[in-house]
Amino acid sequence: MVSKAETGPQESPREKFIIAARRKKILAKKCSLCGHLMLATVYCCEKCSSREYATLELEGIGKVVTYTIQAVAPEGFEDAGSYAWVVFSVNGTDLRVSGFLPGVISPAALPIGSSVRVSDYSPTHGLLLQKV
Amino acid sequence: MPNKVCVLGAGSTKYGKLNEGIIEIALDASIDAINSAGITPKDIQAGYISNVFGVSDKQVHMAPVIMSNLGLPGVPGLTIESACGSGSIMFREAYANIAAGFYDCILGLGVEKITHTGTIQSTTLFSYCSDFFYEGGNGASFPGLFASIARSYMAKYKASEEDLASVAVKNHENGILNPKAHVRKKITIDDVLKSPIVASPLKLYDCCPFSDGASAVILCNEDFAKKSGRPFVEVIGSGRGASSAAVQGRDDITTIPSTIAAATQAYKMAGITAKDIDFAEVHDCFTIAEIIDIEDLGFFKKGTGANAVREGSTSRTGEIPINPSGGLKSKGHPIGATGIGQIVEVFEQLTGKADQRTIRDAEIALTHNFGATGASAAVHIFKRAE
Repeated sequence: MVSKAETGPQESPREKFIIAARRKKILAKKCSLCGHLMLATVYCCEKCSSREYATLELEGIGKVVTYTIQAVAPEGFEDAGSYAWVVFSVNGTDLRVSGFLPGVISPAALPIGSSVRVSDYSPTHGLLLQKV
Repeated sequence: MPNKVCVLGAGSTKYGKLNEGIIEIALDASIDAINSAGITPKDIQAGYISNVFGVSDKQVHMAPVIMSNLGLPGVPGLTIESACGSGSIMFREAYANIAAGFYDCILGLGVEKITHTGTIQSTTLFSYCSDFFYEGGNGASFPGLFASIARSYMAKYKASEEDLASVAVKNHENGILNPKAHVRKKITIDDVLKSPIVASPLKLYDCCPFSDGASAVILCNEDFAKKSGRPFVEVIGSGRGASSAAVQGRDDITTIPSTIAAATQAYKMAGITAKDIDFAEVHDCFTIAEIIDIEDLGFFKKGTGANAVREGSTSRTGEIPINPSGGLKSKGHPIGATGIGQIVEVFEQLTGKADQRTIRDAEIALTHNFGATGASAAVHIFKRAE
């Protein structure tokens, strides 16, 4: 499930997160002092404020925690059809991430607890998800 | 020992779709508050201004422009932004400056002008208040974020869409009595359930409107207030809280940690508990928000808020009246002004100026206002001066 990160040192944390997402991964950090796991875009440990950490790539697969189906979409998403904005927990961790799941028409199609996975990162629609 | 802080005057424009420019509505509310306090502009030693989307009406650096047009070009102003919580968070900073003795008298003014941008542009601008990399940038609007919170709450506590609708029905009943409310219209549970879906499970009538408006208060120390000889209210509790900016960062999506932190501080400062509050103005940007608020503020146990609203415990004559002004839902939500608008309602209630909305025998009231999905929050407690 976990592999060492393969991003280069020159990118920002958000750029690294996006590069990993394009490989269907979630980039995370594990605090070297307290072991807290957080998204790689957070600069300092949320628990102990340490800046020493190991970078990890997690498989971008998880379970839906909550979501909405947007009927009135913000700018840039008008052409996206019926879609869900989803919060999911990454399998095997307490880490939660949000993403864009296209093609969801009704709540019956996406019970809480459904499995989703990261499929790509779009410059216009962000972290792309698909149902597993 | 910090100075006691009082509210000596309060004023507001009507909330809704306003034709005047942002500076004009700001000045109208300011003059209203100055008249209410019985002071003159030269009594004001500083201006604290809350605003979010001034750039959409071609004005940033709002505070000096407002102070200059009030005829006070030499009086320092400061503009504060904290999304939908800007008003109360600005009030907290003004409060702290009176308490610390830097000033005797401050104008606290909240203002917003947004309706000219239209629904899609407004929805987009509001989405910039989210943690955009994870939320707005992935397609979530603000109704969408609260809809995800609602779905989580409904699953955990078995609340229904009718429960959510009962918040809207109650707040519209109150707003009908408020001459400055944006949406003065009686609605039924059925009206809410049949209104168009905005972001499931939230429908149009679960959502507050986009509003223009301005509200202002005059803050001062106790000596200043007493010398005026006019009715005033004392600020007896003040608290600030913070939560993870993104919904995904919260262990429990059915509670807002910043509300709990701010309320805990405010109750402790006031030396009271939730049971001592006679009524409250809370942040009901969406119906689900009010249900979570009244639990997090300690009025009802976790998971029982929906039932309390449905049974009438939060109506104007209920156990703890919530949003007698009509709340954001009916009175409206000009986001830079909303937190101050709540304090205007408290001032009017506690000084006998609330007319048909009056909560009988009220002496202590609470305001609760947060930014975005609760990333920032402030709670204040007020007492009618003896």
